[in-house]
Amino acid sequence: MSNQSSKTLQSSPTHTPRFLQQSIGVWSRHFKVYSKNLISNMLPPLLEPFIFLAGIGLGLGRYIDKMDGVPYVRFLLTGLLVSASMFTSAFECTYGTFIRMKFDKVYHVMLGSPISATSLMTGELLWASTKGLVFTLSVLFVGYISGIFVLGEALIAPILGFLNALMFASMGLVITSLVKSINHFTFFFTGLLSPMFFFAGVVFPLQELPESLQIISEIMPLTHPIRIVRMFMEQSFSIIILWDFLYIIVFSLIMSFIGIRRIKNILII
Amino acid sequence: MIVSINNLHKTFKGFKAVDGIDFEVEQGKCYGLLGPNGAGKSTSMYCLYGLVKPDHRSDTHMSVMGYDPRKREIEIKSLTGIVPQENNLDRELNVRENLQIYARLHAIPPNIAKDRIDEQLEFMELTEKANVPVQALSGGMQRRLAFARALLNKPKLLLLDEPTTGLDPQVRQVLWAKLRNLMKENVTIILTTHYMEEAYRLADHVYIVNNGKNVIDGRPQSLVQENIESFVLELKDPELMKHFEQDSDGIRVESADEGGYAYSNDISQLQKISEKMTTERHSVIIRQSNLEDLFLKITGRGLNE
Repeated sequence: MSNQSSKTLQSSPTHTPRFLQQSIGVWSRHFKVYSKNLISNMLPPLLEPFIFLAGIGLGLGRYIDKMDGVPYVRFLLTGLLVSASMFTSAFECTYGTFIRMKFDKVYHVMLGSPISATSLMTGELLWASTKGLVFTLSVLFVGYISGIFVLGEALIAPILGFLNALMFASMGLVITSLVKSINHFTFFFTGLLSPMFFFAGVVFPLQELPESLQIISEIMPLTHPIRIVRMFMEQSFSIIILWDFLYIIVFSLIMSFIGIRRIKNILII
Repeated sequence: MIVSINNLHKTFKGFKAVDGIDFEVEQGKCYGLLGPNGAGKSTSMYCLYGLVKPDHRSDTHMSVMGYDPRKREIEIKSLTGIVPQENNLDRELNVRENLQIYARLHAIPPNIAKDRIDEQLEFMELTEKANVPVQALSGGMQRRLAFARALLNKPKLLLLDEPTTGLDPQVRQVLWAKLRNLMKENVTIILTTHYMEEAYRLADHVYIVNNGKNVIDGRPQSLVQENIESFVLELKDPELMKHFEQDSDGIRVESADEGGYAYSNDISQLQKISEKMTTERHSVIIRQSNLEDLFLKITGRGLNE
């Protein structure tokens, strides 16, 4: 071994990027591609909350006065702060990652630059979480300009948007590592995310649910960031917030670990 | 030696893609890896920068610019430029933006990156296309952009996976000239190719591999001189094969579905045969043997797939 190495010329690179620098390089690649079509990319996250407001505020909201002591539009929009980040990050690390990996083969070239597969996937997660944050911010913005939220309220929401997105992005990576075809993602979206939208406290409070369903809700990742954001919105805190934060952190760590590892084994064979 | 690989193995799900390949690469020279599809060329190349993990064996030795790619891929990739088989450019972005992304991935400081990008655009004659979206570029321009991308970090080693496949003759000639310029600057090149002409013109040394193993290697000119007869008579019509008596009078015959080939060191022998076929002369060619003849002799004329 040493015999071999001594025969070969040793060159030293002037500069090799560190792990986080590598991941930020990946992040900035995605940022560049995303911001290239900024208007068409930013329209949905801003438009969607407006559609909900119009649909619920003008329609359903007239029949439901308050939900859990909160005006219904406010209740719903608070839930959207988090669910918007779920959908975008889950989408990014399923369809987005799959297309980059299998169709566009972008990773194949990116891995020719001085980045490791682990930092590449960490960059993916950072990017998807950033998108989650942006989507939360746009719901927050809609809340402010429509007067449903008081300016300066819910400033914690973007942080939760980011963390929530990290949970769903890392879960997305795990799913992506498992599917054989891009069509299989529909199971994830219809089978897992859609029910979560209804049973994690976005559209109605969980305490109305039968006990057995409440246990299931407690297992669902989306439940926890939503509960935290609602506590901050209504300024009524409970000790359960610690469990919620713990859940988010542990879930993200486990899913990131599994997801990065599995995708790495697909990329580096 | 800038690259030294001994006894490289790679098994994919029970299939031996690389089965004990060796190669040694000197600085500033161009090396060609030749072989049929599935011979293990690209896989071997991927092993050089950690994209493929070689089989875990204690008798495999790998050193790329002094680093073992199984452990120190980042250092190797910092010093290497890679042009993959497919360009895999970001099609929605323009030419400059594509390069900006990779300048960033190479951690080139922004103030230096701009000059580097301009320099590479000029070298690859893409300056005027800097703001054109990739999807509006011709195939040749996209390939040149993939080259520019690989050169951003001023690599000492350039790995080219079928660099000119699918390009028109003009673009190929231009790219070959650029590669020769880089070699003058002491850049080492390893390329895989199916074009024997490319290997003949560019490579100082070729390795012919087949079924994941080294078959023969050396200077392309001497390989042809030493391993195959100097001249070949080529028949386009298999029907004409009846004129040959198999392997007689210093003539070696190879027949295939597409026609027949008679090899000999004595051109007059071949001319005699050709004269016998005066009526059908139009489908007979006598020419010098080349690397392709050698390649086909070694790797066989049948499909390898």
